[in-house]
This record gives sequence, structure tokens and C-alpha cells, in this order.
Amino acid sequence: MKQGNITRRELLKFLGAAGAVSAAGSLGIAGCSRNGAPAGRVIVIGGGFGGATAAKYIKLFNPDIQVALIEPAERFYTCPFSNLYLGGLRDMQLIGHGYEELKQRYQVEVIHTLAEDVDGSAKTVRLADGRVLGYDKLVLSPGIDIRWDALEGYDQAAAEIAPHAWKAGPQTKLLRDRLEAMEDGGTFILSAPANPFRCPPGPYERVSLIAHYFKQHKPKSKILLLDAKDAFSKQGLFMEGWKAVYGDMIEWVGLSDDGRVVRVDAQAGEVETEFGTLHKADAMNIVPPQKAGFIAVRAGVIDTTGWAPVKPQTFESKMVSDIYVVGDASVAAPMPKSGFCANNQAKVVAAAIVADLDGREPLEARWTNTCYSLISPDYGISVAGVYGVEDGHIVETAGGLSPLGAPADFRQREARYAVNWYNAICQDTWGTSDLPLALG
Amino acid sequence: MTTTIVTRFLRRTVAGLSIAAALTLLGSATAYAAPVWERFEPVKALLDGATPRTNGIGLDIPLVSEDGSSVPLTVTADSRMRDDDYIEEIHLFATRNPNPEIASFRLTPHTGLARIATRIRLNETQEVIAVARTNSGEYLVSSREARVTVNGCLTRADTYDADNIMNARYRVPNELARGEIGEVLTMINHPMETGLREGADGEIIPRRLINRFTATLDDRTVLEARFNTSISANPYLRFHVRPEEAGTLTLAWEDETGAATQEKAPLQVR
Repeated sequence: MKQGNITRRELLKFLGAAGAVSAAGSLGIAGCSRNGAPAGRVIVIGGGFGGATAAKYIKLFNPDIQVALIEPAERFYTCPFSNLYLGGLRDMQLIGHGYEELKQRYQVEVIHTLAEDVDGSAKTVRLADGRVLGYDKLVLSPGIDIRWDALEGYDQAAAEIAPHAWKAGPQTKLLRDRLEAMEDGGTFILSAPANPFRCPPGPYERVSLIAHYFKQHKPKSKILLLDAKDAFSKQGLFMEGWKAVYGDMIEWVGLSDDGRVVRVDAQAGEVETEFGTLHKADAMNIVPPQKAGFIAVRAGVIDTTGWAPVKPQTFESKMVSDIYVVGDASVAAPMPKSGFCANNQAKVVAAAIVADLDGREPLEARWTNTCYSLISPDYGISVAGVYGVEDGHIVETAGGLSPLGAPADFRQREARYAVNWYNAICQDTWGTSDLPLALG
Repeated sequence: MTTTIVTRFLRRTVAGLSIAAALTLLGSATAYAAPVWERFEPVKALLDGATPRTNGIGLDIPLVSEDGSSVPLTVTADSRMRDDDYIEEIHLFATRNPNPEIASFRLTPHTGLARIATRIRLNETQEVIAVARTNSGEYLVSSREARVTVNGCLTRADTYDADNIMNARYRVPNELARGEIGEVLTMINHPMETGLREGADGEIIPRRLINRFTATLDDRTVLEARFNTSISANPYLRFHVRPEEAGTLTLAWEDETGAATQEKAPLQVR
């Protein structure tokens, strides 16, 4: 395993020779335990960007720590690039990832079952198969749950007709089916929620790639994006791209133009906005308000917002010690709820856990995020941010957006970077190595 | 090279410890500090020596907002809202905005419920204060810290569609029972220019605010509002009405240039 230019073993040897063994721990590479007992037991719940990365990097930093990953699904389907599937640009199987690398290469014990409960004082996790596992450190990466009580008329049954498709998998397929079944000249409605929610640019990339599909197969169709916000991620860039690529196919209605959907009638294919306007749709995608995944509730780490507040330096819960919450479930603003952030946060958590189990202070945390969005297969845009901790809060220390008015070859290059980004982060997180570079 | 890393780590640990120690001291100091409103001049001026209650009033703002240009706020005061006992005024303050007065509201027993929801602008993380005054002159105060983060994933178009200015919307209950409290929703398209920002040409965009809103049920005042620069563009108000009989709810907005608009909503009472 290479870390920079010297291997871990070489570095250990060097540090040992220099008589600085204790400092070795500071680099997250503590030596072997004396009696063969594990250097600690860590349970990770959730095998998405946050959880899989945390499990891998804990083992990478200290192979003597015992790590179990609890994830019901044998394959994890990513929300990033699920919009490419919806736009007809990628097969579903190409956004699914398995756990072979974690099992084989990193000796993570992957348990494919549901974690049902957490007892933060006894430090145990109860699994759906009845087993109770003890931990020294627990990492929760549960992603989001839908707030089924937040939008009148939108419950689980309604989601089978008007999908949310905000957790990739069967819901995404259902939405694709609805789009395929729609007649040319139909109206597709997407309802976007208020902040905070998973993947801030997601709804806007989604309508872009659905427009790409319509343009090829159903060019007379319309897209109406009803929004509970007046401002959204990369707004200027999306608006510019929509106009350039799709003319007036996409209409965005913000909060101040009565864009907030307050009632859904999935059977009738109808939504009602705050001030009483009714909109009819031939296909609908309701992206509803969200909250932290339920195991975070069971663990007692969420507050009244429905999300989990964390200590910025380590992402340890502010409410229950020795539980760390990464990814969408945590309150990490201004970091967005993105897969990239979850992956980054998981590395910070892995370092913090390895340090703590070795009796050391965590290193200073730094994170980065890049969100690429595709407006079409040849048109990519991005936003990037660098984050640190100041006065006990996470702050953005640097960042930037793609320029407005950039030439076509610039947009084309960014579309390629988006694919490279996806391939790279999936390789880092799950070890998926054979993803295509081509789009469409 | 490795030695450098080790030294740097040690130095950081030492610095980290002293920061931790400093924070402990700071923590104990703030525990004894007076609440922000006690030291905040506009609130002191309003109270004019009166000692307010800090119970019976609640201020609801998200702990963290990712868009400081539109932060939802709800203020609620416990009150029967009857002729002999009601909340007459509510004042909102953003302690670290250029103009700290956000808005003032005058309520009446016809408001039915002492609750106002709106959307405000917050320049930065700061304390937001609500002060209510009862008809008998008693004050209630509530204060909340609202954290504002600049989300890198959020950028907003800085233009405003001039065609829609003064375009108003409302929503009232279809029908109410006599004496039942109903919710009224209003919004008007308006840029709420603060006079503090520059346009693309580098010139200051002149201030232009909706500064006054009234809701009257026939000839009875339900709500009067005065807005300042910290009310978000497209002023949004959610308030209540308790009609004793059917009537017409007149909603009227005025802006500083003299532009005005009115909406008339029939209220059915069974």
C-alpha cells in the first residue's frame, strides 16, 4: 500500500529507528497489537459513499482494527449518475457497486442485513437477524429517509405512482418507466424541496437529462420544475445551459412565483402549489422533504431538524459519544449533502477513530467537494469547495464555479471530467474498476 | 521530510491543547453573560426601561440556513387575543444586519392568533430578536441565534423580473365557522431593494421597499405591517384572522415609490 512515496512499512521502520514510535500513531498507522487482539472494534452502518469509504480507510490506516459493515443490499446503486440512467445514457448495472474489495482486500466483515437498533450506552447494535454486536466506535452513514408526513397526499403508496427516485434503485427504474410510457407532447413535472436535501444540484441535472431524452424521442414534451426555493445550486449555469440546449422545453417556477408544492394527488396526476394553483402532469417526480436515515433516530443522534449534529473536527455526534455520523444524515453545512462530501467526511472520521483508539488527538480536518452536473452528454458544469473548521464551525475556505458563457469545448471537457470523477470516486469507495469512459 | 511532519504534528497538538483550555474559560464566561437583547440598543430603546418576560413567546428559525437571502421565521406569542387581553405589537430585529429593524406588526383581537411567519434576510450568523407588547403594555422577548452558511453549491441569479413587480397572491380559507381562526397567506412580487448593493454597472441600485402592508376585514383592522430592508424579496406573510361574520378581507401593499396594490378576498363564515 503506497502512501505518498514511501510505503507504510518503510515509514514505520523509519519512525521506529528514529525512536518516534508514538508519533507513528499520529499518522494513522499504529503498529500491531501485542497479543493479537484487535486494536478496536468498529461497526459501520450503511454501505454508500460514506460507510464504504469509512470501513475501507479505517482498515487502511490500521489493519488491526476489526471492522464490520452492515448493509442490507449486496449492490449499492448510486444517486450520482442515476440521472444518466433516467436520460437513457447509462445502464442501471453501471451505477451499482459491490463489496468484494472491502471483503477481500481490506478484510472488512460485510454483513448483508438491516441494523435495527443502536444502544449508545451499552454500545451495541442489534441486527434484523437477531444478533447483537458490540462496538468501541460506531459509524453511521444511513443516508436519507423520506419524510412521508411532510407533503399532503405523498405517502409510500403515492410514491409507487409518482416516484421520488431520490434513493437509487427500484424507484429510479419506476421513474424511467413513467418517462418511457409518456406520450410525445406530454408534461413532466418535477417538484423540488426546500433546503437542506440530498444532492442540491440533483433536481436540476435530472430535468436536464430528462430533457435530453425528450429531445431525442418526445420533442414536443414540456418539463415543469416546481421549486420550494428561489435560488438553487449552479442556477445561472443551469439556466444558461437549458436555454442553449433545450430552448424553452424546461420551465422553472420558483418559490416566489408560487412554485412550492403543498399537495400531491398521484392518482389524478396533479399537484397543488402554496397559493392554490393546480398543475396537471403526464408523468411526475416528487422529490419530497427528507431527514436522516432511521437508524440515526434509533441511535438518538438527531435533533429537532431531523438531521444529526456533529462535532466538526471529527464528525462525532454532538449527542452520543463514540458514534460518528457521515454523509447526508449529518449537519455539515456549508458542505452539501453529496456523495463526494460523504466520501471526504468518512476519511476524516476514519482518521479520527484510528487516532482515538490509539489514544491520540485527531488531526486537523479539511474537506473538499466537487459537484459535476450534466446538462447534456456534451455539456458539463461544476462547483467546487474547500472546507475547514473556524471557531468551531465548518466554513468554506475556497471554492468556485464553472464560468458563465464558456465555449462549447469547455463544457464538453467538463462533461468528460464528470465521468472521470464518477469512475474515480467509485473506485475509491467500492473498488469498482471497469467503468466506461464514454457517455451515452 | 518525515521529521518535519512529526514536528508539525507535535506543534499542532500543543496549540490544540491551549485552544481547548481557552474555550473552556470562554464557555464559563458566556454562561454568565447577559442575553444579547439586554445589550442591544434598538431593543433597549423599545423597552424604555421595562423588564420583559422571556416566556410566553417563541421564535422559530432554522439553526442553520444555507441561503441567507431567504430565511423562514415564525414568531408566536401565547395570547387569548380577546379585547381585554391581546398582543398588540410584534417587532423583529436582526442584530448584525445593516438595518437591524426587520419589521413591526400591529395585531388586533381580530387576528385571532398571535403568530406571524415571514422570510427574512440575514447578512451573517447572528442573534435574531422578537419583542412583543401586550395591550396592557407588558413586554415579551425571545432571542435565537441563526447560523448562516454560504453554501458553495448555491449561487443565485442577481436579476429581477421587473414585469411581475407588485403582482400579489393570497390564500384564505374557503369557509370558516363563526369565531374560528383561519390562516391567511400572502406574497407580493417585489425586489425589496435595500439601497445597499451594486448593480452589474457598479452603481448602487436605489432603495425600493414595500414598506407597508395592511389586512382589514370590512372596516376592522386584522394586521398592519411595516417592513424594512431585512424582509426578503417577494415579501411573504402568514398570519391569522378570526371573523365573527362574513366579510371581505382587503389586503393592501404600498411601496416607497408610491406604487400600491390591493386584493379583496371574500371570507365565508357559516
